[in-house]
Amino acid sequence: MILFYIAPVAGETSTLGEFVGVALGSSSSLCAKKKKNLSGSGMDSVRTIPDLCHRLISFAFQRCRVSDDLCRISVALVGSLLAGSPVVRISISDTGAASCLEEFQDLRVTDEGIFAEKWDGMLAVRTTGHSFLCYLFSHRKREGHHCEVLVLLLMVEYAAGASDEEVHYYNLNLKEGSSNNWLTRLPSITKNGVRFSGTEVCLSVSEKFEVLLGGIKQFVEKMLILNIPNIAFELAVQHENVYKSCYGDAFLPNKSMPSPFSASNVERLKYGLQDYILRRRNDLDNNLGLSLNALEHLRTGMGTICSSKTSGRQNPGLVVDAVIIICEFSDQTSPCPRECGHQTQVLYFKDFSPSSISKSSLSALKSIDWKSYGLTLGNIMDQGGGVSLEWDNLPPHTHIDVIFHCYQAEVNFPPSKQKVLSERSLLKKAAKLALDDMKEKHSGVLLSDRALKIQSHAPALARTLAGLILSSNDMEFQGECLSLLGLLTGVEAEIVEECVKDKINAVIELNDRKPERCKDSVPLLFEDDRLQEMNFEDECEEGDDSYDSLDI
Amino acid sequence: MEGNRSLSSSRTAHLLSKIREVTKSILNDLSNGRSPSIAIDTFWNYCRNPNGSCSCEPDFPKGKEIVTLLRESHVHRLDVLLRVLLIVQQLLQENRHGSKRDIYYMHPSVFRDQSVVDRAINDLCILLGCSRHNLNVVSVGKGLVMGWLRFTEAGAKFDCMNNLNSAQPVPVHVEDVEDILSVAEYILVVEKESVFQRLANDQFCRANRCIVITGRGYPDIPTRRFLRLLIETLHLPAYCLVDCDPYGFDILSTYRFGSMQMAYDAKFMRNPEMNWLGAFPSDFEKYSLPTECLLPLTAEDKRKTEAILLRCYLQREAPDWRFELELMLHRGVKFEIEAFSVHSLSYLSRDYIPSKIHGLHN
Repeated sequence: MILFYIAPVAGETSTLGEFVGVALGSSSSLCAKKKKNLSGSGMDSVRTIPDLCHRLISFAFQRCRVSDDLCRISVALVGSLLAGSPVVRISISDTGAASCLEEFQDLRVTDEGIFAEKWDGMLAVRTTGHSFLCYLFSHRKREGHHCEVLVLLLMVEYAAGASDEEVHYYNLNLKEGSSNNWLTRLPSITKNGVRFSGTEVCLSVSEKFEVLLGGIKQFVEKMLILNIPNIAFELAVQHENVYKSCYGDAFLPNKSMPSPFSASNVERLKYGLQDYILRRRNDLDNNLGLSLNALEHLRTGMGTICSSKTSGRQNPGLVVDAVIIICEFSDQTSPCPRECGHQTQVLYFKDFSPSSISKSSLSALKSIDWKSYGLTLGNIMDQGGGVSLEWDNLPPHTHIDVIFHCYQAEVNFPPSKQKVLSERSLLKKAAKLALDDMKEKHSGVLLSDRALKIQSHAPALARTLAGLILSSNDMEFQGECLSLLGLLTGVEAEIVEECVKDKINAVIELNDRKPERCKDSVPLLFEDDRLQEMNFEDECEEGDDSYDSLDI
Repeated sequence: MEGNRSLSSSRTAHLLSKIREVTKSILNDLSNGRSPSIAIDTFWNYCRNPNGSCSCEPDFPKGKEIVTLLRESHVHRLDVLLRVLLIVQQLLQENRHGSKRDIYYMHPSVFRDQSVVDRAINDLCILLGCSRHNLNVVSVGKGLVMGWLRFTEAGAKFDCMNNLNSAQPVPVHVEDVEDILSVAEYILVVEKESVFQRLANDQFCRANRCIVITGRGYPDIPTRRFLRLLIETLHLPAYCLVDCDPYGFDILSTYRFGSMQMAYDAKFMRNPEMNWLGAFPSDFEKYSLPTECLLPLTAEDKRKTEAILLRCYLQREAPDWRFELELMLHRGVKFEIEAFSVHSLSYLSRDYIPSKIHGLHN
């Protein structure tokens, strides 16, 4: 779990240069001991400056994630006005593994009209890595070399990032059409024997400062949902006209709900989403102190499912994590009367980075049998990059949060269990697992319409059964029944009723958690198929019972 | 009487014990986190097998319905069943009687329809292995009787012979009927009260040594039980006179074979010796009824007739009845008993019935 707080990072007199400097901090070992996927796949093209910043931050995040050490990502914004136009210098630095410059190739601009006057396409990159190996990696990958070989190369590269003697400087021109001229290597500087790794990317853009700042904050908050425990974010801001001095925000792991390093991705995602929800609610509640009691209002379910390799040995398996949280605040405790609407914005991550939801995943959301969890899905609004689910039957002050994370990972299935599932199928199954998990953990939550209807009979059934016990003139029988219920003789009728009702409800909830095919007993045993042909249509009535309907 | 009361008291104690067993079984399941499941035998007193080669055993259960807490469609049924069970427990403990209608009005918003209560009572009879009257649930009898008969009901004397052609209500508590005395030669069962009154007006019982009973349409349980008691006690032949239409035939079948609704209790209700006196489709020509008396069979009549024809017991036990029914369907017409009044108002009592009985004897 990560707690959000805002605090000056280096004191009011700190300069931006200091922030940038510390980002390239020391790092003991950057050898990637685990096979981790470095770059996101299938990313959307970048079309705005905020998108570009998000992508660069995401790259830094991936470099940190690959590193097993504590890692810091620093984003520094320096705003000024140049001839009346806003100019912002952006620095994104990290102490993670060295940069593979190939990642920036995804950002190359093919349509110069996209950024127009806002950005010249230049990125200044400082990194401890050796770009040669990156190219080798990408070329070998294209040539179809086995994954193990590529990972070995990466390990060598990361090791080189830390043990390399120099910091390399590059200028990248992402608007350069020629594939050969987009990279200019500048003179390196020595590390003077210090062992560290990291990367800094700098660029200058003409964009409204507040737009950039707000967008980056939101993006970082979303990234924090992934809750990778070794990564901390830092945001430093300086604007010569707006702010008298610089200030910073720090986004650090929370001590009260730590997410252990050993936690699985889906567990981290769960804590991260809980934290995200509580932060959001807290912000809306006039920044009142964040109360851990608020966690009591969260009903959380998580599910994870993976598919084996699609074919051959080059493609890793696909994993989908899902976390679903229902917040229930009473009228008095609800900190968010405006926010707790009947809409759910679906958060979607692809390969450890926020992403727009794919069409197949959207289709999976539509096909989930929400009704079997007592939810009625109304509209699904696809607002170009963000999807919102509209619920028809949520009670007041209830809100549902949904997050999916789809990523590639090495998954080892026994040969007999190998099964290739589509992303759509995985997402649907993961959502179902999360819903089942919530149902399992929280009594009375997500009961199906059917179970709720059955439960509506529980008070009457309990009253009748209590009547059968207490109105009996057989005292021994009464004692036996009360003993079965765990009650003492002489107890009041209301207590007997309540006890029976609780037991009935427990049975109904238990059954509702079973898979659909296991729910119902066979209604008619030893059935004679001839009886199926029978009906009462030609049946007579019973004398004075002429008002009997024949539908029984 | 004393013997009856002692038997009744012992049966009541047995039923109360069974009710307690049902309650304990439900609580035991709930306490162990299981859904209570109540197994109710299903009975059918016929199957649809017109070739007569069926292996129908009407007095044995054909299967079980399992009523559980886990199916939406079952829960209401379980709710009703337990409510009626509670009422029955109270009736038996307090040795009181109540009608099905009384029970309905105890929870009308839950029961919603009388048929729901009726089904619950039937379920309880099967579950507890008894007849409806054993639950102290009784009907307000609607049957009528007249003729050469005398009996007592719970000590009260009923002497129909004092006024041979005056209708008396059929006793409701048939188990309390004793001291049956009769000099009748046969029992005549008529479908309709109008025919019963016609016979009364014509002083039919003064001219014929018989007992006449009507269930006024589909017979209720007391009428059928009383009729069976008379047949068994007096060893008299019984004749049934119904309209020549599918509903008349169905009423006839109910007297002889029992109803599907109470198939579980058919062995105590059916009257296998019941003879069909009329009116047959063939009576139309035989008694020279004018065509104006005939009515066309409606689509519903035809559908019902075809359904009745499929009942296995007709082929097995009454193929001649089936033949007449086929004839009715083939002709596509029906007529009422009152149609014989076309000859004269008393034609039914003075000519038709005596000639039919004479014909059966010969």
